[in-house]
Amino acid sequence: MPLFNLSNVSKPKETNYDVAIIGAGPGGLASAIYAGRAGLKTIVFEKSTEGGQILLTDMIEDYPGFVSISGNALAENFLNHAKTFGANFTNEEIIEADLVSKIKRLKTDLGNEYTAKTVVIATGSNPRKLGVPGEEEFMNRGVSYCAVCDGSFFKDKRVVVIGGGDSAVEEGLYMTKIAKEVTLIHRRDKLRAQKIAQERAFKSKMKFIWDSVVTEIGGSKSVEYVMIKNLKTNEMTKYPTDGVFIYVGLIPNTQIFKDQVKTDENGFILTDEHMETNLEGVYAVGDVRKTPLRQIVTAASDGAIAVIDMTKYFD
Amino acid sequence: MAALLSEEDRKYLVDLFEKELKGEVKILFFGSKRKEECEYCDLTEQILQELAETNNKITIETHDFDETDLVKKYNIEMVPAILMLDSEGNDMRIRYYGIPSGYEFSSLIEDVIATSKKGEVDLSASTVKKLEEIKSPLKLQVFVTPTCPYCPRAVLMAHKLAMKSPNIIGEMIEANEFPDLSMQYNVSSVPHIIINEGEGEFVGALPEDAFVEQIMSVVKGV
Repeated sequence: MPLFNLSNVSKPKETNYDVAIIGAGPGGLASAIYAGRAGLKTIVFEKSTEGGQILLTDMIEDYPGFVSISGNALAENFLNHAKTFGANFTNEEIIEADLVSKIKRLKTDLGNEYTAKTVVIATGSNPRKLGVPGEEEFMNRGVSYCAVCDGSFFKDKRVVVIGGGDSAVEEGLYMTKIAKEVTLIHRRDKLRAQKIAQERAFKSKMKFIWDSVVTEIGGSKSVEYVMIKNLKTNEMTKYPTDGVFIYVGLIPNTQIFKDQVKTDENGFILTDEHMETNLEGVYAVGDVRKTPLRQIVTAASDGAIAVIDMTKYFD
Repeated sequence: MAALLSEEDRKYLVDLFEKELKGEVKILFFGSKRKEECEYCDLTEQILQELAETNNKITIETHDFDETDLVKKYNIEMVPAILMLDSEGNDMRIRYYGIPSGYEFSSLIEDVIATSKKGEVDLSASTVKKLEEIKSPLKLQVFVTPTCPYCPRAVLMAHKLAMKSPNIIGEMIEANEFPDLSMQYNVSSVPHIIINEGEGEFVGALPEDAFVEQIMSVVKGV
């Protein structure tokens, strides 16, 4: 990453817009690019740093046009692209939304109110908790959901990574560069991650414990061990570790919309093929949407489809 | 030494400051002559100098950790340290311990802009009201890493509260540069916020209401 990052310096703003985009990950930023090009007055709300989930990814190798690019650099490209076409940005979190009325109203954590004719929900998702004893207790003492953020605290230490998907394997690989020992614990006997990442993991110093789940995280002052249960033999093992990185799925950030927008049983927003929700002028794109694939390329594609459809409200 | 800021970022800052800076901003930097005690002092000073060159309203004053009077006056605990004074010389009560690099560079820029407006910051009416209840000194230490995208939000929240309330000091601490302090507070996941040296703590970049709630529970508990 660049040593000095300027991506989340916010800009001055007005309060009435054509399009309000909630969340500045790839889906939100692609929407902002298309909205800007469509001549729509656009604002993007981001509660932390523009870029979303890709900021947590060390290297990205599956976004077309870039053989290999850091998540941070790609995020900056997306952001600058959106700014070039005129989108406004503000670092505020939406805490209340009226999406049913013709003019949508959004209230932020700073107490500001905005209106927009259309809304794109691009709020993404958060890591799912494992839900075992010790997870909450050691949340700030060895349990982490973000290797890029917290990896440096585990220099030359032992960590376990829980999960078998892309995030688990990629973040585990990142940790092999920092930690002394990295052990991946997965409930199945094979990984779900992309083949190329799997191959790298098998070639790295990463160790694997298959068919197993973590049932407890324990220690005194900070994490000292995890209890591992082998699902085939029911055998329990106490496995020493200093850190636990958890990648066991995603929970969509739909809390404040779910009374208005239809979701599936897991909270992912249901849309039609144009990304429009059950509410007129309200769209959902990227990870927050019920979709068979959650990649940067699909989130960006969602954004394009949503905004092109949305122009019907401005004809 | 080669410039730390890219030409593109430098131009961006020139434009941004031209538009946004209202009054003068004096940045006080505390470093150390003993380089072995302060790995990032030189780099921190250099980025501040480059920042000052983007707009003549920004000045940098460099001091050494040995200057005990000044160190005592501003209660500087370690180096590198950065604080900001507005055009009337008022301490904004914000501190950066460690280099504000990575995502934290944005926090520094936001703070420069807020300081140029004499600490005028965007906070909700209910927060401002709650802050009035804080009558005794309160210290907020926000532990961060430069690669944590969630962290600037917590830093800026602590800094905004400090600018608004005369009793609050808001600190950013780069956890990797101060491992002993990080260890003392069991920092292993960032942002990690320590209230009044351990009277309260929480992890994560909470929205404004929830952040203030955490502080108020400590204030009321005392």
